[in-house]
Amino acid sequence: MRKVYLLLTLIILFRHSVAAGNDRVMIGNISFKNATVKRDPDPAPYADFKTLVVPIKRAGNLIIVEAQVDSLEGNFVLDTGAPYLVLNATYFRYMPEIADQEAGGINGESKGAFTTYVHNFKILDLQYSRLTADVTDLSSIENGRNIKILGLLGTRLFENFSITVDLFNNVLYIQKVDKSGNVPEGEKIFHDRLMFSPFKYINSVIFLKGTVNNNTYWFGFDTAAETNLLDYDRFKKIVKDLQIINRSKINGIGGKGLEVLYARFDGLTVGDHTFEKNRTLITDLEKMGKAYGSNIDGILGYDFFVRGIFTINFVKKEFEMYIYNNK
Amino acid sequence: MRGKYILVVFVLLISSMKIAVAQNNLFIARDHLVLQIDLKTSDKELDSIFKIAGVSKSNAQKLLKGNYNSIKEDGWDLATHENKIIRFDRSLSGLNENPQDAPFEITTHLPEFAGEPGYPVDVKYGVNKYAHATVFALPSGLTRFILPGYTRARRVFLSGNFNHWSTLKGAMKKGDGGWIIDVKLEPGAYEYKYIVDSRWITDPNNLQLIDDGAGNTNSLFFKYNYTIKLAGYPSAKKVVLAGDFNKWNANELLMDKKSNGWEKHLFLGDGKHIYHFLVDEKWVADPANPKKLKDDDGRLNSVLNLGEAITFKLSGHKNARNVFVAGNFNYWRPDEFSMDKTSDGWTITTTIIPGNYQYRFVVDGDWITDPANPHYAAEDGKINSFLAVRPNHTFKLKGHANAKKVTLNGSFNNWEENGYIMERKGDSWTIDFYLKPGKYLYKFRVDGEWMIDPGNKLWEQNDHDSQNSVLWIE
Repeated sequence: MRKVYLLLTLIILFRHSVAAGNDRVMIGNISFKNATVKRDPDPAPYADFKTLVVPIKRAGNLIIVEAQVDSLEGNFVLDTGAPYLVLNATYFRYMPEIADQEAGGINGESKGAFTTYVHNFKILDLQYSRLTADVTDLSSIENGRNIKILGLLGTRLFENFSITVDLFNNVLYIQKVDKSGNVPEGEKIFHDRLMFSPFKYINSVIFLKGTVNNNTYWFGFDTAAETNLLDYDRFKKIVKDLQIINRSKINGIGGKGLEVLYARFDGLTVGDHTFEKNRTLITDLEKMGKAYGSNIDGILGYDFFVRGIFTINFVKKEFEMYIYNNK
Repeated sequence: MRGKYILVVFVLLISSMKIAVAQNNLFIARDHLVLQIDLKTSDKELDSIFKIAGVSKSNAQKLLKGNYNSIKEDGWDLATHENKIIRFDRSLSGLNENPQDAPFEITTHLPEFAGEPGYPVDVKYGVNKYAHATVFALPSGLTRFILPGYTRARRVFLSGNFNHWSTLKGAMKKGDGGWIIDVKLEPGAYEYKYIVDSRWITDPNNLQLIDDGAGNTNSLFFKYNYTIKLAGYPSAKKVVLAGDFNKWNANELLMDKKSNGWEKHLFLGDGKHIYHFLVDEKWVADPANPKKLKDDDGRLNSVLNLGEAITFKLSGHKNARNVFVAGNFNYWRPDEFSMDKTSDGWTITTTIIPGNYQYRFVVDGDWITDPANPHYAAEDGKINSFLAVRPNHTFKLKGHANAKKVTLNGSFNNWEENGYIMERKGDSWTIDFYLKPGKYLYKFRVDGEWMIDPGNKLWEQNDHDSQNSVLWIE
């Protein structure tokens, strides 16, 4: 018993000292590196609306939003797995470089990636006079889905807002919040709430706490992930609860084949709701975790967010899902 | 009490039976993926487990015959073999070799969600059905879309596969009592919707809706390219057009009565169509069309070939007995397209569907390439003459005047190593191509040296530490 106490004390001390070092943040038993580059914040966008309604499109399970960069307009992927605006090098490689992209965003290790500013970025009535953007190679999305992709819309674009995605009617709502961080009652669109969960927002990534079979996990929430993904090592404990439904090899990434396992599992509780019949890929997320600046247990993607109309209130750090009453 | 006892025994028995009945299974144990095959199960069950485990059909067949070599080469080790139960396993260390930074780098390559909903494919024919004629062709050739009403809307867009479902490009103009836009459309089938103040709606006046297979319903419009006419029959009550394209439906395509006969506007896809009329249910072949074909019962149908008329010419070979042209447009059938003798050689004009083709002439059984065509391509390692029918893109490489051989290589033929041989024209090397909408990756090869297109500023990194030029056909 004393040993346990000592160990606990040590752990607490260790955690404290690490936190004090200010380059790591802890949630539960997971540590996060403060990975994001210290950049001047971009000016707040010009947003002359209470609720902006934006039509969206789909490519595979991706959510596509059209936006304008200066005079160029085209498709962007709504990607809560990306911290900033990311531009596809194929179309933006001649943008002025403002800094090397060290320790940087999601594609920190990509060849030839750099950081730039874009001026006059516009999603209908939401206008940014200046946005910091990473320029990197996004050809894997284009070639996987045969759709022209100018870039990714990362979380920082929406940090002052609450956003709601209705995949059933292909609409994105971008809403202003009041002083207490809430969408005003009169502006609320959906009322039949399926679930609610607060989230942690670290390095501009959304982390949702979930439990599977009494084990607690932290999941990155990524709208550009076309399935859920679980880290094999971290889910070993519940491997018996995973029903393998497919094993396949996918080609064409970095020239190498990658083996993937598809599995099904029940009983994923996030916030106040338990989701059954979850489908997920099982893989190794260590490298992805590094890119997020943290270790992650899993990523909640399309299979998760398609269960309802989902709202991310970036100001209050709350995640909600709604359903259509008559559906 | 006794009843309960029997029940408990029964339950125990059932559960033990379940264990005793071995089954096919795929599961994880001790960092290995275990594939359990029960040879007593049905072929269907075996197929299913092989599919789940990603074991190819040929490897599965060999395995069932007791040959485990192929499945071992695929990374599976034989663990146990007892009676009719075989267990293979493979290490899951491969799962720890995930080099990707972002989830989308994996998930966008999953084939499960591929496909392009909202883009009609291989539509053979079509006619429009509108409650009110709110979409129609203008004399200029443009197509006008009108959405009546919604006059209090702030912005309305027309979005469809013709503008890649853009939510910004098809801005409609507000007119009296509605919204209007004119767009340029080639003949074909199109799916579309309106976006009224950012909300997607189908066309309320269009009675033809189509499920895109991904949970959406779109409106369907056909831009016509053909009018089929039947002269006379002024006293007929009902004239129907029926063809192989609509599975000989005798009730669908009612012809419209005109002053001098009957006619039907419609969209007909490229290719061969067989049809006849039913004049008050009486079978009539098209008297205005000389091309006829008898069906199995000896009745006459009319034949229509839509596509591009292409003339092949071969000079010389005056002493040949017969000359044919054969290519992948006719599945290389050697004796289908017989060429006619002319004063200085041989010729044939035939209709071909737009596309990129390879062909040869068959001169008295000898397969030769076209000496008058500078363009060549390869199929199965064999060099043939190359022809683009109704080309819509020209690849051009300036300079390199002294090069001996310049080829175009790209994703359109899976990077076939021989590529397409380009022609020296003026100060450039060129080749015409027919390309469907979508993305293409390509490179030039000048006397064996690979290079991206210096005239195209779009390129992307490839897997071989170099670049490919990027071309989007809109």
